[in-house]
Amino acid sequence: MLRDRSTLALAIVMVALVVAGPFLPAWLRFVGTVALANALAVLGLLLLIRTGLVSFGQGLYYCIGGYAAGVGGKDLGLTDAFALLALGIVASGIISAILGLLLCRYREIFFAMFSMAFSMILYGLLSKSQKLGSTDGFNVVTPTFLGYAPDGANVKVWVFGLAVVLAFGVGIVLHQHLRSGMGYASEAVRDNEIRVEYLGVSAQYVVWWKYVLAAVLAALGGGIQALASGHVGPEMAYWTTSGEFVFIALLGGTAHVGAIISAAVIFEFIKTWVTQISPYTWQMFLGIVLLVIIMFLPKGLWSLLARMRRAS
Amino acid sequence: MMLAVQGIDAFIERTQILRAVSLSLEKGQMAGLVGRNGAGKTTLMRTIMGALKPTKGGVHIAGNDETRAPPYDQARLGVGYMPEDRRLVPELTVEENIMVPAWATNIADASSRLKRVFELLPEIARFADRKALALSGGQQKLVALGRALMVGQQLILLDEPFEGIAPALAQRLVEVLHAIKGQGELSILLSESDYTHSAGLIDRLFVIERGSVTERGS
Repeated sequence: MLRDRSTLALAIVMVALVVAGPFLPAWLRFVGTVALANALAVLGLLLLIRTGLVSFGQGLYYCIGGYAAGVGGKDLGLTDAFALLALGIVASGIISAILGLLLCRYREIFFAMFSMAFSMILYGLLSKSQKLGSTDGFNVVTPTFLGYAPDGANVKVWVFGLAVVLAFGVGIVLHQHLRSGMGYASEAVRDNEIRVEYLGVSAQYVVWWKYVLAAVLAALGGGIQALASGHVGPEMAYWTTSGEFVFIALLGGTAHVGAIISAAVIFEFIKTWVTQISPYTWQMFLGIVLLVIIMFLPKGLWSLLARMRRAS
Repeated sequence: MMLAVQGIDAFIERTQILRAVSLSLEKGQMAGLVGRNGAGKTTLMRTIMGALKPTKGGVHIAGNDETRAPPYDQARLGVGYMPEDRRLVPELTVEENIMVPAWATNIADASSRLKRVFELLPEIARFADRKALALSGGQQKLVALGRALMVGQQLILLDEPFEGIAPALAQRLVEVLHAIKGQGELSILLSESDYTHSAGLIDRLFVIERGSVTERGS
């Protein structure tokens, strides 16, 4: 597996970031953790986009992952980061498996709108739920790691390390998956659905499976975000959260998992930087960036690499 | 009986395309379905494959009632389909295009099937690593046939296989079909607008006109 250059590069960056984690400034580590949490959700979105579907509902599972970690600590007394993340995976897996049965029948704008609708339903429910903190959300417990409880700021170092391992680990697995039979089947579904059915593959099953996988990855991202920030709120399910994930996918392009991880990091840094210098206009700035990307790099920033390779 | 189509009617939106169509095919037989453009050849193929559901009548394949089954069920039953427009995945290589059904459905003997396909069509083995979008129309037809053979272990439906390809390639396709027929294992239904190429190949001839099928002596 490591003979593959992409896999090797992802593995090297992963190890380098884990090693560098304790030495990074706290702000950089936090922004990096949030970026990688988002990257996990967008990697899920990548699976759907490769199948020809755009989901505006990844926020649903991002929120479920975050709230599962929160509820696991608050109501179940769990503190282990892996157990808290596992709760999110189970919850999102079950919910997406059920919702996926409906969504796998829809395509194009109908899929996008349906996925967003479910996300907004959750937003509405959480906003009205006093027990879950209503629109304010609630705080998440300080995590432990398989019985080890790091002290003070070290917790954030461990969360960062976990985010790095998960984002890059998932990236490596997804990179292999996209080059497997199921990965090829997705591309074929995107190109022409009936054709894959002629080959013995149920297009609805492919879509259902990708939807569930995407949901689980978004939940992992949401869980990491909750552990990193120590707080969850219903805005995690709001449509703008899902919109940001789509933005990141467009920014990086869907040609490679590396494009998604890079774009998530770039996005988070731009957002942080612009919010600092102009707190009320950061959306406008991001809008302009998106416009420029669509006009000049419709296949995302990753296509710059391809252009440079062709030029050299 | 490998294929039995019994009195099917089929509509596209509100227009009736097939009218009480019946035909049958025994194991190892090759039949031609001949008719002009718009007569209903492709609609009949798509109905047999399950992409279009008949409003009346039934489709039985190898003794199974497949009238309401989706296309992927027919494929898993061993029915290979080569659509007229080939429908290869352009970004994938020739070998990947042929192997997609095997990977996606975990066909156990995929490598031996691939070997058999390459033996029958050595010309596509030569450009196995080339992307489908880099192939000529005729080469794509051969790859599409290879893919249909990968799936089709019992029955193959070939929709206008000779349409739009150079005479030399059409002749090569005839040779390949002769070889497949010689093995006596596969049943083949192929459609054409006339039977110029398939005349020497087919055991039975079905003529389709305005959605109605009649059998003529071969």
